[in-house]
Amino acid sequence: MSELIQIGGMNERPKPPRPEDLSLRFSDRAIRELEALETHYPERKACILPALWIAQREYGGYLSGEALAEVAFRLDRSYAEIEGVATFYSMYNTAHPVGRHMIEVCTCLTCQICGAYPIAEYLKEKLGVGFGETTSDGVFTLHEVECLDACDRAPLIQVGDEYYGPVDKAYLDNLLDRLRSEAASSVVKLADEIVQVHLRETERDR
Amino acid sequence: MAETKLLLEHAHDPSYRTLDGYLAKGGYAGLKRALGMDRQAVIDQVKASGLRGRGGAGFPTWIKWNGIEKDKHAPHHFMLCNADEGEPGTFKDKQLMEETPFLVIEGMTIGGYATQADTGYVYIRGEFVDAARAMRKAIDEAYAAGYLGKNILGSGYDFDLHIHMGAGSYECGEESALMSSLMGERGMPRLKFPHAPLPTVAGLWDLPTVINNVETYAVAPFILERGGEWYSTLGASTKNSRGTKVFSVSGHVNKPGNYEIDFGTTLLDLFALAGGVKGTLKACVPGGSSVPMIDADACSKAVIGYEEMAEVGSMVGSGGCIVLNDQVCIVKFIWRTALFYANESCGKCTPCREGTRWLLQILERIVKGNGQPGDKELLLEICSQIDGRSFCGLGDAAAWPVVGAIKAFPQEFDYYIANGRSMVESDLVLVG
Ligand SMILES: Cc1cc2nc3c(=O)[nH]c(=O)nc-3n(C[C@H](O)[C@H](O)[C@H](O)COP(=O)(O)O)c2cc1C
Ligand code: FES
Repeated sequence: MSELIQIGGMNERPKPPRPEDLSLRFSDRAIRELEALETHYPERKACILPALWIAQREYGGYLSGEALAEVAFRLDRSYAEIEGVATFYSMYNTAHPVGRHMIEVCTCLTCQICGAYPIAEYLKEKLGVGFGETTSDGVFTLHEVECLDACDRAPLIQVGDEYYGPVDKAYLDNLLDRLRSEAASSVVKLADEIVQVHLRETERDR
Repeated sequence: MAETKLLLEHAHDPSYRTLDGYLAKGGYAGLKRALGMDRQAVIDQVKASGLRGRGGAGFPTWIKWNGIEKDKHAPHHFMLCNADEGEPGTFKDKQLMEETPFLVIEGMTIGGYATQADTGYVYIRGEFVDAARAMRKAIDEAYAAGYLGKNILGSGYDFDLHIHMGAGSYECGEESALMSSLMGERGMPRLKFPHAPLPTVAGLWDLPTVINNVETYAVAPFILERGGEWYSTLGASTKNSRGTKVFSVSGHVNKPGNYEIDFGTTLLDLFALAGGVKGTLKACVPGGSSVPMIDADACSKAVIGYEEMAEVGSMVGSGGCIVLNDQVCIVKFIWRTALFYANESCGKCTPCREGTRWLLQILERIVKGNGQPGDKELLLEICSQIDGRSFCGLGDAAAWPVVGAIKAFPQEFDYYIANGRSMVESDLVLVG
């Protein structure tokens, strides 16, 4: 029986760096993106969510204490505020570093009655990890998620910016093999895609 | 009964996702008419149409649009599109954004013109990258061709439209929480009318704001093009539901997907459109996870309409219709529903934060075979303490399905509690 789905472990909060240790890692591109975003809202504070997406990309998929501190610095907010916002949302990876690919298994209502729990068990067994854990080679992190709102494709999983469904065991075997051979992180790709859709054609430079 | 295709008529045509293809199919005729009209006349057309919000509550759309101050004093008026679609069972906004993005954009521009909005935001849930990419592409095209930005189509009306992505939270679909989230906060709800001003008076950044669902906006171009009177003839057999509604049908049907029907269609006709029920129909959650489920008998009497669905004890909601066959154990299904709400409760108010956990704990012990006499009554008691007492609608939405299931299938709960196992002998594995 599943526990409440873990949305950020409470006890393992990353620590913010001391102010003198703050090192800034946003690329020039990230800084330009943030500047463009600021023109979209009457208040700069509204950039917090998109800036966290930028940080999740720039920091390789994980919002460490350093990443949150940089967002706080760039937007002139407190670390506590940024951490408070980031930990509210399940798609920001604040609790622990994640693998190259996150396998998000929907077990919500329609997926449940269309066989999601056996799918989840199969993935746990095949990857040798439980929900919220990462394989020892650092390739996959397995997560349980709530309805992804594509229930017509149940049972459904999300990896990076793609939905896959309906899935069965053979489908997953193929998918995992393919993902394993992909060197680029789909976690970073998801964050980048999300940043890009905020920006108008004239504001993008990739 | 056949589908009535209005919004989805050209959905499967990829060219409809480009500006040229959209114009070729008559796109932007509604906006062109609107720009030639008085602002109030636009709102009057929406009033005549009888359009009610498609996000779940069914609130008359024109009242929101009409509630924005007519003499613009505020530095900004906002048009906000709720594209956070998070209700389990619903996936219509996803298809509308992916396949008919210009309908949404045109609808927001029409609403923007009527309410003197200078800026719009489409708040899309973070997982919907495909939908966001389609909207992005369409917005860029619209800007390039003068359908967004300064002096739209030479009318003197300026309107900017931005995309803002969520990051994983059901509660952000609740309108005041959505605004908190857009402004850069945790997605928590705000005090509402009558304890605080309406969003039309003080919404985003305390400025006048209209918030509507994706589907609501997508209807506006048709109302302006063909007239509110015409729209109101659709669904005229119902008490007070007009037009078409897109239903997302999933679960035990042969062809899960989105189907657009006139109000007044029967629920069984909707199932038939979706290829018929797989196996023997047992129950249906007709309007998204938040609405009470109804049994097969009630399904056979149900007519789709806001008031008509209430007569069989449920709601139109967001149109997320989950069909259950006789292999489903209702107790386990409701346990999973309770898990969803406990996970998604934002934690702001006590009835919802604690109540959703208690519901889950009790259902969990029943499902594990440790149910105790009186647990069914205890569930109902907790629900009655949550319903109407939570800070926002999430608490109500957590309580209704539990009450609905116990009402429709009391014997299944009694059996499970008394015998420590499900009454339904099937090999569907419904718990992890
Ligand atoms: C917990 C909760 C979640 C909601 N989620 C959504 C949602 O995902 N999409 C939506 O359009 N409305 C959602 N709503 C309803 C909105 O609060 C609001 O009524 C709606 O956006 C108004 O648009 P409409 O008048 O066009 O229906 C939700 C409400 C609650 C209480
Ligand atoms: S229940 Fe899994 S996508 Fe909706």
